[in-house]
Amino acid sequence: MSLRALWIISHEKGEHASIRFSRRFATVELRAKRLSGSSYVAVPEDDCFLQLLLTELGLSGSKQAFVAQRDDCLYRPRSPALELHITAPVKGTLWPVLAISQAHLTLACLPLVDASPGQRPPLSSLLSESQGLSFLAGLQTFLLAPGSKQDGEGLVSRLALLPSVLLQKQPAWRTGLYRGRAVVNVSVVETVRSMQYGNRSRQDLWDVYGTVACKCEVEGVLPNVTVTLSLPPNGSPLQDILVHPCVTSLDSSVLTASSVEHWDGSAFSGPYKFPFSPPLEPFILCSYTSQVPVPPILGSYQLKEEESQLHVSVVLKLHESVKNSFEYCDAHLPFYNRDQMGVVEVKVSSGQLDVSKEKNLLVWALGQKFPKTREVTMEGKILFSGPEPGPSEPLCTGLTAYIKLYFKVPDTTLSGCSVDQHSVQVYSSAKPRIVTSRELHSKDYWIWNSTAFSLPHNHKHKSPP
Amino acid sequence: MASGLVEKVSAFCRSPSRFLFGTSSEVFLAELLRELRDDRANYTVKVLLLSPLCEYPALLCPSDSVGEETALELMSIFTQSPPKFVQFRSQLLVALTCVLTCSSDVSGRLRAFPDFLDLLLQLAQDTSDLHGDAAPRSLRATACDCLREMEALYPGLLSQRLELLGGLRHQETSRLHQAYAGLQALVLRNAVYQLTQEKEAGAARLRALLGGNESVECEADQNAGPASGKDSAPLSSVILGPMGTVPTLHTGPDCKELRSALSSLLEESYLFTPLSQAALLYRLTEVVAMVPAIPPTIFRAQLLRLLGTSEVTLLHTTLLMKSAFTDSLFSSEDEAFLFKRLVVLSQHPLLSTPEKLFYMDCILHFPENRPISCGDSDEALPVLLTPRLASALLPVVFNDSATLLSRFNLLSLVYLEAGEEEDGRGLEYLYEHLTSLLRIVESGGRRENVVTFFRAAFLFLFHFHHVERYCDNLSQQLCQLYLQHTRFAPHLINLADRTQEKLPDSSWALGLLKALQRVISETPISQTTLPDLRWHLKVLTRAAEEGEISQHGTLRFLSGIIPPSSSSLSSSGDWRLGNGILGVCRRLLVHPSLESMFIPLADILQHVAGHYGDTDIRDHARLYYTLLTTLSREKLATVLAHHAEGGQQVKKRTLSCLMTEGEGLTSILTIHETEVAIIRLIEADCEQLEAEDLVQDEAERGEPVLETYRAQFSSAAFASQVTLKFLLTHTETRDARFDQLFSIRLHFSLTDDHYSELQDLSVPCLFRERPPPVVTLTLKPREPYPSSLHVSAIFTTQDGLTWHTTLPDIRVCFQQIFLPLPAPPSWGRAGRQAVFAGLWEEMSSETGECASSLFCCQLEEKALSALVEKHFLPFLVSDPSHKDEFRALLFLPPQSHVLLKISSEEDAVHFRLATDNWELLPHINDYLLKITAS
Repeated sequence: MSLRALWIISHEKGEHASIRFSRRFATVELRAKRLSGSSYVAVPEDDCFLQLLLTELGLSGSKQAFVAQRDDCLYRPRSPALELHITAPVKGTLWPVLAISQAHLTLACLPLVDASPGQRPPLSSLLSESQGLSFLAGLQTFLLAPGSKQDGEGLVSRLALLPSVLLQKQPAWRTGLYRGRAVVNVSVVETVRSMQYGNRSRQDLWDVYGTVACKCEVEGVLPNVTVTLSLPPNGSPLQDILVHPCVTSLDSSVLTASSVEHWDGSAFSGPYKFPFSPPLEPFILCSYTSQVPVPPILGSYQLKEEESQLHVSVVLKLHESVKNSFEYCDAHLPFYNRDQMGVVEVKVSSGQLDVSKEKNLLVWALGQKFPKTREVTMEGKILFSGPEPGPSEPLCTGLTAYIKLYFKVPDTTLSGCSVDQHSVQVYSSAKPRIVTSRELHSKDYWIWNSTAFSLPHNHKHKSPP
Repeated sequence: MASGLVEKVSAFCRSPSRFLFGTSSEVFLAELLRELRDDRANYTVKVLLLSPLCEYPALLCPSDSVGEETALELMSIFTQSPPKFVQFRSQLLVALTCVLTCSSDVSGRLRAFPDFLDLLLQLAQDTSDLHGDAAPRSLRATACDCLREMEALYPGLLSQRLELLGGLRHQETSRLHQAYAGLQALVLRNAVYQLTQEKEAGAARLRALLGGNESVECEADQNAGPASGKDSAPLSSVILGPMGTVPTLHTGPDCKELRSALSSLLEESYLFTPLSQAALLYRLTEVVAMVPAIPPTIFRAQLLRLLGTSEVTLLHTTLLMKSAFTDSLFSSEDEAFLFKRLVVLSQHPLLSTPEKLFYMDCILHFPENRPISCGDSDEALPVLLTPRLASALLPVVFNDSATLLSRFNLLSLVYLEAGEEEDGRGLEYLYEHLTSLLRIVESGGRRENVVTFFRAAFLFLFHFHHVERYCDNLSQQLCQLYLQHTRFAPHLINLADRTQEKLPDSSWALGLLKALQRVISETPISQTTLPDLRWHLKVLTRAAEEGEISQHGTLRFLSGIIPPSSSSLSSSGDWRLGNGILGVCRRLLVHPSLESMFIPLADILQHVAGHYGDTDIRDHARLYYTLLTTLSREKLATVLAHHAEGGQQVKKRTLSCLMTEGEGLTSILTIHETEVAIIRLIEADCEQLEAEDLVQDEAERGEPVLETYRAQFSSAAFASQVTLKFLLTHTETRDARFDQLFSIRLHFSLTDDHYSELQDLSVPCLFRERPPPVVTLTLKPREPYPSSLHVSAIFTTQDGLTWHTTLPDIRVCFQQIFLPLPAPPSWGRAGRQAVFAGLWEEMSSETGECASSLFCCQLEEKALSALVEKHFLPFLVSDPSHKDEFRALLFLPPQSHVLLKISSEEDAVHFRLATDNWELLPHINDYLLKITAS
């Protein structure tokens, strides 16, 4: 992989931006110069680069309504490869600048384009693009590793480490030898997302995806481990499987099922074997998606405007196939574009109800268990008579409103996918201790008010802005 | 000392150009090298000091000779550095690679190149660390990386070492084998490429390279010797070759050696990190593409592993293999599978957004086994992308903007391909989606939502401008949106501009502007706020640019807002609003249907000229009124068109013209910018500072001279200034407009903090034919270092226009800061000599900031006298007639001294130096080099 330059930029929503680290690679730059001949555009100095990048990312001049250079409606693919238009000392276009952002940190690099000058090749024909993306993702993981909260000291110390890290090659994935008691830890974590409208004209949606995380503490230079995932009989096959590069071989049938085509019932449904040689650190062995016939919790949310009050009615049903033993289960009911809540006369059949400090959110803590009927309800009236207006949100105007569910169920998966302790094979002298676990949690689990006229137009679900 | 240098290094890396204003690259390089040589310095700091050489070698070593010297210097530092400082030694190798490759302008190589190459090869082979600790291993890894960079820059450099590299990789068990493999693969690819360029190269030559045939090696070694200077340019990717042709090497079926080398590399590939793996696989793909005798199926065993990967770069490699080998590696079933995989990946919940967007791009440019079109057009959709498959990528309102637009574009292409213009469900979905975005914008979306909506709208129009029922509806919706949020006027105008530009055959933009004009003119004035009104005028101005749009509605609207009775808006005399109104009028004056609007427009202008609350606006309106009523149509068009053009240029630069939009008259009020430098400052031949006639000294002084001398500095202003004289002249560019300049105000700005801020200077006039005026610049140094000053000037020309211009920077040279010893005037030579002696003694002790040094050069005695006379006379402390030793004292404000004892010794002339500011040494050294060389 050849990069011409690399930048690490920190900013707070475009404000107080500064380059925390930058590096240019002279030999690569020389190659770029020779390869592109007369169309060569030199890498600008840091200040100039920063300003151009922020503009291109739409992060600068946030107070101005329309800035032609930033807000032009002409469509061109901007991400992940940006164009920067340099005006001084020589006019030119710097391409392809790869940039990825997370929270307050933006990482950018300029990979070498090893094509002959002339017409710009498509992004997909340049290996350096995907390499650049991989590199930036790795760097991001390093900089934002757990333990380094936001802009704290963690980041500073990691930035200080960078020059020495960049000196060396990216470490091969097994950087040393483990000595000690052999332990293999495999955990399956499934995430369920849902969008429920309670409306005939609009289909409810839900999906499930899972990751299998491993931590393998085993001896040997190149230890061999095999993890097998299995499904219950009649389980629907695991789809869209992606594996970690340390997996040494794959059976072609493992990859056959995909979410973008209809399952004809004959697809391979396990067991899924993944032989691999593990790195020392914890890693995601594989990930998958799954199609389950019903959402774990089915909800109905109805709001009615009655004079100055809002009538609220909620029903949540836990599906019988789901284990009724939560670590937590909370329902959040935010109210936007209204005044603060004044009088709240709402009853719940189970759990505990709280009004948030800001008086724009109801928090319904359902606790560890649904009642035997597996159904809970909320009914009542809210008067929005608070002294101050609450927050605004362009999606939730009029009666458009939602409930967001947060829950976690230990020791279960919706797809039924599991790793049997005895199916984990480790080819090494000492017999390792094997720990397996699984859990299910929710993310982006929305239940929309079914009486609203304008629901957000939607197909699959993603988190709202 | 080191910490100061560390700061300098970071200042340099932040902005080399700014840093080098204040000093020269030679001085900085010398400083760096000196510190690097210093054994006592901290090695962690030294690593940092190498970064300028690694990042900007060409700036620091601008010529071959400097590069050569620097490289030799670094090599000797490498040899002397203790082996335990692995990190420093590694970085030193990187710096050497950069200096040796980048400092030479042409692609020729420096003389130190072969020695360094030998050193790297030697390091790469040094496996003495195998049983020891792992630290030196990283030095080997760096050596490999350096070799790889050099091979990439000079393809074929290591062709003759292939066997050696293969062997090294084979025996390596640590993770270093990855570095060897990367190097080997690159060298192999370059070697094979070179063979394809040679006539009659075949299996034998290939085998010789891989097997390392002795005789061939010797011969080739001579060829590849650095003396030959025959360097090939770096190679671009072989697979991406122009016109899609791949150079080929015909070997016949017999290439066992190559095949086994490839297999052994492939077998180990799974042990590498994804990035290295991808690079390796790509190089090998190139090799196999060039050698038809090797079947692409050699990659088969790797494919399944690669197709299942979560790593973007590994899957991409597979795609590039597909592009290179098409159906000789991928059956149509494989192809369908790979394509489906891409669709899955471009919406996989566990991948990052940039990765997903990248996969979308891969879908659009999917290398099909049998492409239907010739593949020239950029975005010919692959046939495999059916509407059904694409439905997985439908945009949703919760997508981030980039994803949303990318999907919107993709789906538009799909539906266009599927001929969905009439009652297609897909198209309906897209339009509904656009409407949802509009709803969000309507109910107060953020700036990003707004921009995204307008981009999506443009995409929709771009692809489906011929589907009237949607486009008409969109116009209506946009008008509604505008009435609710007039601040979107610039977005709407931008949308109209772009659609007109990209779809010249479509009349949609015209329709939109017409509709906007209608809704604006139908709005009751009483409900219009001042900001609304400003935006309305903007939109109307844009609509008035269209000859095909009837302007009666606009006129009605204007007449409506003018009478003070209807609203207080126009009588308020708001200057910006007035300009808005005049802006519309200006456009109307050049509108093709002016005839039919003559009377109402004249009425409006007359009314504004008579009643508007702002004098400036009234004046302008009167001018327009006069133009309208007295000039013929043609003349009016020419006058205003001319103004518009001039105005356009100015508009870019001036605030006041932003308001008036192309109002020509404002050019008088505007400060114009010259395109090139018109004037400059050149150094005046300053009369030599006279050596003062000294009072023949009175008797011995009782008082301690140094103390008396120093007491003078208790006054802060004492001897703190340096005066420089310049001539202000025209530059060579001749432009008659600028022959006579008046009221020139010169502004100086500092490029560093060595000097105090400078006052502006005024010069009454500058005529080309008259002698140039002298400008006296008084500098007050904080630190006596050379510097540059940015100079700009504002002046007036004869026609009354005001101009701003930038002058070439002026350089403050080191010798310009020299002053003679500021001794009390009553002192004679003896007193000065006593100060000299006292200072010399102090400085020779080398305590604190003090330092002493020796500079030698070859000079005839006569030449030496001449040199002293020319450069040091004003500063001499000793009697000029004493030729055996000259003593000179250079005073540099505010309080630095450089003392010189110049004498001819047996072998050379010695300049013995002492100073109380060691940082001056490099500058004085440069100065002495300069004056003794000439």
